[in-house]
Amino acid sequence: MAHATVVWFIAVAICMCAPLFVYAQEPATRAETLQQQREEKARKLAPPAQNRLERTLKDLESGRLFERLLNPAEGLYPKIGNITTGSGFSVGPGYRHAGMFGGHADFSTFAAASFSKYWMIDARLQFPRLANNHVAVEVHGQRYDFPKEDFFGLGPDSNRDDEVIYGLANTVLGGSGTVRPTGWLNLSAGVDHLQPTIDATAEPDSLLSRFDPSQAPGVLVQPDFLRYSAMVDVNMRVPRGNPRRGGRYAVTYQRYDDTDTDFYSFNRVDIDLQQYVPLVRDRRVLALRARAAMTDADTGAVVPFYYQPTLGGPDDLRGFRHFRFRDRNALLLQAEYRWEIFTAVDGAIFYDAGKVASRREDLDLRDLESDYGIGFRFGTINGVFLRIEGAFGSSAGAHFIMRFGHVF
Amino acid sequence: MSSRRWLPNTSLKTRLYVVTLACAALALTTRSATPAYFPDDPLQVDNDRALDAGKARPVDGSNAYDFAEHTFLKPGDHRPIRAVNVNTLDEVADSSWFTNRIGRQMMSIDEIARGPNAADAPGIDDWPIVEEKSSGITPGYRVRSPEGRLYQLKLDPPGNPEMASSAEVIGAAFYHAIGYNVVQGYIVDIDPAKIVIDPAATTVDMRGRKRTMTRDDIDKLLARGAKLPNGKYRATLSRFADGRPLGYFKYYGTRPDDPNDIHPHEHRRELRGSRVFAAWLNHDDSRGLNSLDMLEGPAGRQFIRHYMFDFGSIMGSGSTMPQVPRAGNEYILEWGPAFKTLATLGLYVRPWILVDYWEGAKSVGRFEGDFFDPVKWRPEYPNPAFENMTPEDAFWGARLVSKFSNEAIRAVVAKARYSEPGAADHIADTLIKRRDKVLRAWLTGVNPLVNARLSNDGVLTFENAAVDAGIAKPVAEYRYTWSRFDNATGEISQSIEAGSVAGTDGKLPGSRAEAPKMLLDAPFIRVSVRTIHPDYPAWSAPVTFTFRRAGTQWETVGLDRTDKSVVRK
Repeated sequence: MAHATVVWFIAVAICMCAPLFVYAQEPATRAETLQQQREEKARKLAPPAQNRLERTLKDLESGRLFERLLNPAEGLYPKIGNITTGSGFSVGPGYRHAGMFGGHADFSTFAAASFSKYWMIDARLQFPRLANNHVAVEVHGQRYDFPKEDFFGLGPDSNRDDEVIYGLANTVLGGSGTVRPTGWLNLSAGVDHLQPTIDATAEPDSLLSRFDPSQAPGVLVQPDFLRYSAMVDVNMRVPRGNPRRGGRYAVTYQRYDDTDTDFYSFNRVDIDLQQYVPLVRDRRVLALRARAAMTDADTGAVVPFYYQPTLGGPDDLRGFRHFRFRDRNALLLQAEYRWEIFTAVDGAIFYDAGKVASRREDLDLRDLESDYGIGFRFGTINGVFLRIEGAFGSSAGAHFIMRFGHVF
Repeated sequence: MSSRRWLPNTSLKTRLYVVTLACAALALTTRSATPAYFPDDPLQVDNDRALDAGKARPVDGSNAYDFAEHTFLKPGDHRPIRAVNVNTLDEVADSSWFTNRIGRQMMSIDEIARGPNAADAPGIDDWPIVEEKSSGITPGYRVRSPEGRLYQLKLDPPGNPEMASSAEVIGAAFYHAIGYNVVQGYIVDIDPAKIVIDPAATTVDMRGRKRTMTRDDIDKLLARGAKLPNGKYRATLSRFADGRPLGYFKYYGTRPDDPNDIHPHEHRRELRGSRVFAAWLNHDDSRGLNSLDMLEGPAGRQFIRHYMFDFGSIMGSGSTMPQVPRAGNEYILEWGPAFKTLATLGLYVRPWILVDYWEGAKSVGRFEGDFFDPVKWRPEYPNPAFENMTPEDAFWGARLVSKFSNEAIRAVVAKARYSEPGAADHIADTLIKRRDKVLRAWLTGVNPLVNARLSNDGVLTFENAAVDAGIAKPVAEYRYTWSRFDNATGEISQSIEAGSVAGTDGKLPGSRAEAPKMLLDAPFIRVSVRTIHPDYPAWSAPVTFTFRRAGTQWETVGLDRTDKSVVRK
């Protein structure tokens, strides 16, 4: 009985105190309500959390690491990209030193190699800001080895099944100067000493396994050359790296002097005309290009096959293999319709047509090789970083292209 | 009386259960008795400096991550709930985030135009440069005043003199008047011949190494800025805020190291509603990374003040170039239009692409008001607080925008000292045009009744914000439902349809109605007012005002535009 009374007493006491207990927890004002919430939070404070990805990106941005690593104005950097058409992905160390000789000169060099065993070493000393930025001068040296260049024979009727390879190595030493009277006009001239060598026998499917020397002028003997060049370049593209309007009109004349035999001396003229027709407030662009390359050997001389114009590959006739067509003259016509999908991505549908010919007068619009395709370009309004394209409709089947930089 | 007789034929165990249940029921009843209105409602000041935030640590953000997170992950809570930090009058209390200025009292045009600035623009010729500006895309550097205070200078882009600096000071003045914390900012001219470099000044070279700053570094910086005809460079001079920088605040969640930060940012009224101001001013760069948290106060009593920061990308300015046409019209990455454009090979043309911009002055950039649609306006990428904006949040913002008269807008624009003919007029005219569109879109989205008063003798008066702003025609009719309100239980009783009362011409003091005498003895009275307007059917949703007896007077303690207890008729 006494036990039950005690239990009842405790129970009733709890019951009576419960509201008081609850009231003690309940704030009497709005300010107290908020204060309680804050005190509650104060008991479980923690530092702001960032995941690894955010931390990494933050570090990359704050240290300008991408810029410093991939494209610095100074110092060591990885040279990434393609050495030349068909080289495949290449990488190697690069180095820049800006502001030499009182801030007038910049030195740069790189050595890069690809998985296809292409390699190149390049060094140049540039004076790009002379005469209040109107004059630029440079000297350069280059050594490269392209061991697996494609060759299908000369002329427009070469056979896809005749594909062979050859190696082209070269040493280039020279200099050039550019005058820029205005922002859109460049007048350049240069001279280079070239020491090409051809390896046409090293591989089972090498050039001489299928073609005889008469079908590939210069395959047996490679003289040294002195190359003189002059160029007029009217560049009115806006913006330059990913044009939406304007045009570019360039003519280059080159004189190749065979310094050993004169047998391979020739002249070469390249004409490159680009026009960009803006549509829908520059959000669509019709990009047109006509390019012609013409060579003219000295009397009694021939143009070596490795310096003859070519067509085929990701930059010109995209539905064909690299250097699929080769002859003394070449004509290329390209049209692209580009449209902005969103800020960093453009779409493009394109049509390429072209031909090679042994005679200049045969550079007409008959019997053109052609292809068409669709692609995407990734970058900014000022430049294309990467393009991915599919080219179809050629006699050589479909080609998938992934390449750094713009097509034109 | 014995317990046995009180609960006959029950065991001790059973009796204990009964008592326990009774206690629990009592406790629950007591909890549910939390009043709807506390004595200090409506709260005018939220004391979010109460607890020491001295342990908060700086946090730095990544632009790329911020973009990706908000574009692909949709962070924050997106429940369609009422803003969590509004007081019982549906207003924002003063806090470390927001100080009611133009919304609470009249501000003179001079006050509005002066903005956060404590003085006129100082001369900076002899102020030494101490370091290069460390973040952002705009070129600039930092100088120290003779008093030892740090300032940051930012240059205008070469192709658009006066553009970014004008945007900075105009944006700061508007955001300040609205109520946000902003740093002081001035337009100054830099004379290259009078630049002084502190011997200890540093910069970071392209290899990431800190080194002594040279005159050549300054010349390279200046070369990225707009040179004036007199050879000087115009720049924005921003005074560093008081305290220690802690990085930025996000537009979602709370700072986990700040005990005072208890309201999820995506549900804060002043952040959700800031979408209205961002749309008005085309502040497309309104994102967390353009905010600033500063730790202020003496040791042991420190708190974090939250700033809106960097207005270089508002109106027609994109900081380093004119605003791109997409800005304000579409996110950087917005799947719908992108897929349409992709699928149609570009035959689908986004409407904003075809917008014409006034090209009479480089300093304006791209700024227009004809195509502008405040409801469709977008920042650079999704902002969780903006996405949570309710009609009530938008109304709150629009009311503040309505406070800026044409004269005030022109005075703020004049502060930018545009030198090109027509530039100031174009900016002001466009702001006025956009303001009117903002008001038409958002001041009319809810039943726009405000400033309700109940006189001692029970006469109700209120104002119609949309009619007062000249956006809506006078109202045809108001309908009232009066009731007694039990503050302890939240129950309403004695509801009385007071009948329809014809609206007045909408001028102050607005409409009036008399409360039923039989309710006037209650400690709390509620009236739900529905507005019948042919142009705005949504106004028939009631606004419920609650009044509390305070001595002989009635005090307005509640305003609810989301009251579901009143059936719409």
